[in-house]
Amino acid sequence: MKDELFTMAVPELPGVSPEVRARWQEEVNRNFLRMKHFSEMVMNPKEPALGPTPRQEIYRRNKSRLYRYESKRTHRTPVLFVPNLGISRPYIFDLMPKGSFMEHMTQQGFDMYLVDWGIFGPEDNGLSFEDVVTKILPRMAQKALESSGAREISVLGYCMGAPISASFLGANPEFPLKNFVNMAGPIDFAHAGLFAQWLDARYFDVDKYVDTMGTIPADMVKAGFKLLKPTMDLSTNINLWWNLWNPEYVSGFSALNKWANEYLPFPGEFFRQWVKDFYQQNRLVRGELRMGGRPVSLRNIHAPVLAVGAKEDNIAPPGCVKPLITAVSSTDREYMELPGGHISLIAGRGASVHCWPKVASWLAARS
Amino acid sequence: MADAGGQQLFDMWKKQVEEGSQAWLRMLSTPQAAPMDPQAFWRPFMDQGMAAWSKVMTQGQAPPDLMAQWKQFLDQWIAAWSKVLEQAMGTEAFAKTLGKQMEGFLNTAGPAKKAVDQQVEVSLAGLGLASRSQLIAVAQQIIQLEEKIEGVEDKLDAVLRRLDAVGGPR
Repeated sequence: MKDELFTMAVPELPGVSPEVRARWQEEVNRNFLRMKHFSEMVMNPKEPALGPTPRQEIYRRNKSRLYRYESKRTHRTPVLFVPNLGISRPYIFDLMPKGSFMEHMTQQGFDMYLVDWGIFGPEDNGLSFEDVVTKILPRMAQKALESSGAREISVLGYCMGAPISASFLGANPEFPLKNFVNMAGPIDFAHAGLFAQWLDARYFDVDKYVDTMGTIPADMVKAGFKLLKPTMDLSTNINLWWNLWNPEYVSGFSALNKWANEYLPFPGEFFRQWVKDFYQQNRLVRGELRMGGRPVSLRNIHAPVLAVGAKEDNIAPPGCVKPLITAVSSTDREYMELPGGHISLIAGRGASVHCWPKVASWLAARS
Repeated sequence: MADAGGQQLFDMWKKQVEEGSQAWLRMLSTPQAAPMDPQAFWRPFMDQGMAAWSKVMTQGQAPPDLMAQWKQFLDQWIAAWSKVLEQAMGTEAFAKTLGKQMEGFLNTAGPAKKAVDQQVEVSLAGLGLASRSQLIAVAQQIIQLEEKIEGVEDKLDAVLRRLDAVGGPR
């Protein structure tokens, strides 16, 4: 049924200005469209098309995969993108056409390599943070280098991917790192906001938690994130209603909503070490961390470093992202604080305006 | 005229948000003084909201962008709530309560989970089927095997590289 059929003229009323009448006419039309799109969402929900950018699987190990997003390669140095492990799926970085970070970066001439950690099961409960840093990530990085034929590579860590990458780079000063970008990744956990407060060793017994639960279930992860921003669902639904007349918004919403409700579990030992070493003891920034028998020192990072914080980020507040800049040895280092929250920093319309071009141009000048 | 009416309405909404937030903060700061009265919390919002709408209806000066202002009001109202909740959840008392609740949950969930797991194991064994723990053990062995194969691949690659370096056959 065509949208034009949903029209109803607002009658001329005495004392009502034409301006008010026109506005209400528009509102009536929008309400019809809202009803139409709402009915479609409920009666005939369409599965959003995700991950539109072409990619190839380069390497797989257990649940984890390494994907290559090939570009025209106007920049010599490829980029290894390390996202968070657990919590959520990485297709948020390639959500939809014209709304994809990977698409944007490949269009800018960067060969992108994305680490997809995968969905871990109870058989992976023994996998620790250290295993990820010393066994999986080095191999992913090596495979990316081999596949690209490049001698150096830039590493871009997002969210938890930033401390994972920083731990790897801090323990392996010989790694051929060209640039390191930290996007919304917590480094100094003394300023890690509500999560740091809730996971404080005085109140949260992580050993008991992991010993009891084994795998950290996706529902628990979801509960933690929902508690962090209890009004999120309300504002999401109000915004949906407000923009429901707009088919473009509805299509973007469907894709984002699918992602936002797809939480992932954590391997038990990974969660134990993540909470203890990072949230409770803040060992990365203190230089007290050891991985694979090697000390992890952020001072071992000499390549150019960019840290990007999001002003409204309540998962990794800017205060815990920025300290990377002073912790590394790099002389070329920069911190940017951009509008948005933890997710909207890298996904969505705002990201395509505020974040992606800045990160791409920073890297372009150094690749 | 319509713009002035809209601005006035918007100011009233803003006042409503501020007063509501203050009422909520007052209640949070005196937790033991009196039992929580949800009506007392909602009243400032509702009273002012009703007053604003009554004024619009009686004076007949609906601004052209009334809906946009209403949306703005909702956004500010949620933002105010969010800020208040964030303050409340950022306290030591909240973290302590959360920790206690989690501990209570684990004390209940732990034995329950163990009992269910044991029961499932016994039932599956009775049916002659592989148990969950057996399947997990097999999956773990596959993962270990994969690691070993990768180790062998690494060593082979290293040998081939050395052969290449000395110009030997490949």
